[in-house]
Amino acid sequence: MAAPADALEPVRAELLRAARAEAGAVLEGARADAEETLRVARATADRVLASARAAGAADGTAAAAGERIRAAEDAWTAELAARAAAYADLRAGVRSGVRRALAEDAPARDRLVAAARDLLGARARITDAPGGGVVAEVPGRRVDLSADALADRALERAGARAEHLWELP
Amino acid sequence: MSGAADVEYTGVRELRGPLVVVEGVSGVGWDEFATISVGPGERRHGLVLEVDRDLAVVQVLEDTAGMDRTRTRVAFSGAPLRVPVGTGWLGRVCDGRGEPADGGPPVLGDTDAAVGGAPINPVRREPPNEPVLTGVAAVDVLTTLVRGQKLPVFSAAGLPHLELAVQIAAQAACAGEPFAVVFAGMGLTHADAAFVRTALAGRSAARDLVLLVNTADDPVIERLLTPRIALTVAEHLAFAQGRHVLVVMTDMTAYAEALREVSAARGETPARRAYPGYLYSDLASLYERCGRIRGRPGSVTVLPVLTMPAGDITHPVPDLTGYITEGQIVLSAEAHAAGAYPPVDPLASLSRLMRRGAGAGRTRADHPDVAAQLIAALARSRQVRELADLIGRPALSPTDLRHLDLADVFRERFLAQGATENRSLDESLDRAWEVLLTLPRSQLGMLPARLLDARRPPSADGTDRAGTP
Repeated sequence: MAAPADALEPVRAELLRAARAEAGAVLEGARADAEETLRVARATADRVLASARAAGAADGTAAAAGERIRAAEDAWTAELAARAAAYADLRAGVRSGVRRALAEDAPARDRLVAAARDLLGARARITDAPGGGVVAEVPGRRVDLSADALADRALERAGARAEHLWELP
Repeated sequence: MSGAADVEYTGVRELRGPLVVVEGVSGVGWDEFATISVGPGERRHGLVLEVDRDLAVVQVLEDTAGMDRTRTRVAFSGAPLRVPVGTGWLGRVCDGRGEPADGGPPVLGDTDAAVGGAPINPVRREPPNEPVLTGVAAVDVLTTLVRGQKLPVFSAAGLPHLELAVQIAAQAACAGEPFAVVFAGMGLTHADAAFVRTALAGRSAARDLVLLVNTADDPVIERLLTPRIALTVAEHLAFAQGRHVLVVMTDMTAYAEALREVSAARGETPARRAYPGYLYSDLASLYERCGRIRGRPGSVTVLPVLTMPAGDITHPVPDLTGYITEGQIVLSAEAHAAGAYPPVDPLASLSRLMRRGAGAGRTRADHPDVAAQLIAALARSRQVRELADLIGRPALSPTDLRHLDLADVFRERFLAQGATENRSLDESLDRAWEVLLTLPRSQLGMLPARLLDARRPPSADGTDRAGTP
């Protein structure tokens, strides 16, 4: 009598198949999950990289703009200092020119004395200013017609003409 | 400016605080400008505060420290202060009386002008139009600044009004037309003055900024001159040179306090809170110097910044300023506490001339409608918040809840921006749309259907049915 066939064999086979199928599905799902996780991670990494690049570029642009502004500011400060030096030279030149002109033009002193007496009256005390010109005084009032004061007033009246010193031709 | 020869008065009777009392004078008038010789080569400047027979009281701009009564000589110019005007001011940094603070030569000009100026003849005024864009969304969209307008910023101590003023000064532009900014700082601390100089360095290097800085420890009389010099320079740049000029003046409360101090020194009768009775007309003499003149290019737009002591909007300075100016931008301590910059309170702020500077051909066709709808929605949002405080959030309708959330979206997506972020008008308006579209379409009745259709077609508006009660 042949050994009886294992009655549970089909069950076992079916369980095995189902288990394998399930394992395959789980494996497939795990693979899919892994791929999805990887895809998301890559996308996140790309996004982070892009935003870091953008932030870096923005920082770089801001830093470059800051540098450009600082450089322009430094250049402008240097130019202003040079203009101030040129203006001081001009003032010194005008002063020495007026001193020289007064020294060479003797009647000029008489004209200055007359102008001072016009302003303060005939009793004004006139003294010669160091460097040329005169200073006139009465009690409580004074008129300065010294060479330096005349030069400074002339330069003030010149206004923007002094800007020719630093204007491009 | 000196004449051919100035008579100097040597009879100095007294030096008292910042005042020099000169005797033996004749023909000297109030507010006359004086040059004071202190010693060999040293000159200071002053203004006549009071004249009584042959006595004149002069306030020294640089103070009387180190002055010797017997060696002091005072020359009166015969007129109030005049300053040279012209493009020589552009790119310059000066103190509050216009003397260089940047190491450069004196500011030179072909002509000079009295700093007192004269308000524009009303008959020759051209109504303000066209915007000045500031790159600040809350200002550009909701309180558009118009060329020739005077629009103050009302703030309180501790709020970032200086940052906002500087940001506007750094970013403002007039759509490619010749533009310049004159920034007048009054009563600034040294730290604030340094911040202003640094933040505006770019604009200064580009030679379209004039910076006048009067610091808190400078004499008060100089503080009265600073905005006048700024406006005088601006008027020439605008009406003679054809530029659109924005004059930012901060802090006008410090200016008014200087006016009070000088008024007390003159022995004038004090009025409200000891400010002189002429505070209104004095402020008007500054603010009314803005505008456009018929037949001339250019414009002067004024943005005064003032701090309301203890946040009191009825204080004389904001109160009187409000009578003269054309709207206000109000900064809110609540928005500041919530971390928003700039902390503009949109419901308390208003630009009365906005309609002239916004819309098709000026800013963008949808601008006036979007601004009006946003203000209406924010007003409803505030009402809902008050309602929620009474009855609780769960009792609100879905639409009310949307309005309640709108305030946060507004603050985060529209109001908040970086202190150096120059936001384009298009982006600002798009963000305003983004805020508005958080509401159901039924709540956007102030927007024309065609604009709404373009932004959110009815078919795509799935949220409408859920949100509509």
